[in-house]
Amino acid sequence: MKDKDVILEIINLKKYYGTIRGVEDVSLKLKCGEIYGFIGPNGSGKSTTLRTIMSLINKTSGTILINGKELEKNNLEQKKLIGYLPSEICLYDDLTVKEMLDFHESFYEQNISKRRKELVKLLKLDDTKKVEDLSLGNSKKLGIILALMHSPKILILDEPTSGLDPIMQNIFYKLLLEEKKKGTTILYSTHILSEVSKICDRIGLIKEGKIIKEDNVENIVKNNITYLTIESEDIEKIKKDLDLNIISSHDNIVKFVNNLNPNVLLKKINKYKIKKLLIEEVSIEDLFIEYYK
Amino acid sequence: MLKRELKVNLKSFLIWTGILVLLFMTVYLIYPSIINSDNIKMIDEMMKIFPKEMLKAFNMDIASIDTAYGWLKTEGFIFVLLITGVYASIMGSTIVLKEESDKTIEYLNSLPIKRSAILTKKIICAIFYIILMILIVGIFNLICLTLSGTFDIKQYLLLSITPLLSALPLFAINLFISTFFNKTKNTFGISLGITFISYFLQILSEMNEVTEFFKYFTVYTLADVRNVLINNSINFEMIIISFLLTTLFILSTYIKYNKKELV
Repeated sequence: MKDKDVILEIINLKKYYGTIRGVEDVSLKLKCGEIYGFIGPNGSGKSTTLRTIMSLINKTSGTILINGKELEKNNLEQKKLIGYLPSEICLYDDLTVKEMLDFHESFYEQNISKRRKELVKLLKLDDTKKVEDLSLGNSKKLGIILALMHSPKILILDEPTSGLDPIMQNIFYKLLLEEKKKGTTILYSTHILSEVSKICDRIGLIKEGKIIKEDNVENIVKNNITYLTIESEDIEKIKKDLDLNIISSHDNIVKFVNNLNPNVLLKKINKYKIKKLLIEEVSIEDLFIEYYK
Repeated sequence: MLKRELKVNLKSFLIWTGILVLLFMTVYLIYPSIINSDNIKMIDEMMKIFPKEMLKAFNMDIASIDTAYGWLKTEGFIFVLLITGVYASIMGSTIVLKEESDKTIEYLNSLPIKRSAILTKKIICAIFYIILMILIVGIFNLICLTLSGTFDIKQYLLLSITPLLSALPLFAINLFISTFFNKTKNTFGISLGITFISYFLQILSEMNEVTEFFKYFTVYTLADVRNVLINNSINFEMIIISFLLTTLFILSTYIKYNKKELV
């Protein structure tokens, strides 16, 4: 990746809350127009990383660069480049949606009302309602509009689809892909792995505050690992011969995690009497579970 | 943002100002019927029973409650000092911290606005309402006193400014303390505690020479009502100390808030 393409870079980010680990060592490079899936279980350091980028919390060490310049807490030009949707969106309950959008708009010099209207229409949000009366899904929609309406170059989304119905989720995915086409870089933190394979270009898996795997979605999913299920009377011999990780075993049926080349596999099992043979592709969810075991 | 702050804080301002105005309105309405020649004699007799220290603490040794203005100079002004102090303290402890407590700070911080600008707008709003409250109560009392009889207008005007000298430092101290917390529920008690303990220490300091040193531990020393009543002037030193204390704590708040972890 050429450095001139990189819009957001995190180098050896570390964050400790006293003695409690938030993030141990996170390094990321996001280029323009890329959607980066940031995946990890609860407490792995996803939100801490995002909140550090947003300068809500102070890093213990490490560097965050926006367009090659170190992130500064009070740099308004850098702030204008970023759109942020927190996982739990809390807005001003006393305002109506329209007033909330007006309030947001008042902070930007450029005219953003056209984009605002487009987003309100696209996400079908009633702007006469009070913020406190919005359902979880509609609050999320409002949060999405607020994050997007100033057309940021970097979008930081923390579990953005929680609360959205499937139809709205699809509209949202389309919206993100349009943003990507315009050159917006998206850091997408989520637990929902199916959406990662739908929209992300690259994935970073974070575990206990460290990135443990980073690759293109295709490479991660198609990494020659399959599930192999065999039913045979010679199952004990096959187990010894293949020497693969066993997921489940009952009667004469065994399910393996297979990383053997298909030709090698067929050669090895050819000598046994096989009753049933099933080879399945590993889903991203299965991979996720494998990595976090 | 300032417009929004003014709107959000208007309700509590109206409630606190309303409490003070209603209290004084009630007193001014019923005072003429309470104070008549028979009652005054009785009150004078009662005053003789009270210890001198106590009378001094409530300025009853230098002012008589036989007129509405007399009542204001003694008991009435306790309410002004206490209620404006409580209001200023609560404003200080909540106006900035509320964003964190309500978790709206995550949104506000994502906007292109400096932390110092957020703080400035909230401080302007709070100080505006504190001054406005003192001004409204002052004007209301002025009108009522004018209607109820003669009084020393210069003394009254000086008197009506004094709450500002304690309210502003109270606001600034509580604002600074709030930067050490993340929830308003943790600071609410502290703000009330500071106000009432300060007032109690001020009363103690007025009682005798032994307890006089407490005056160094309370901001209510700055609202030197006694000096106004005796000398018809505000001690300039108190104005300077009040200003310096307010400035010191507000500047400390800027420094602390800029480094604060907001979630």
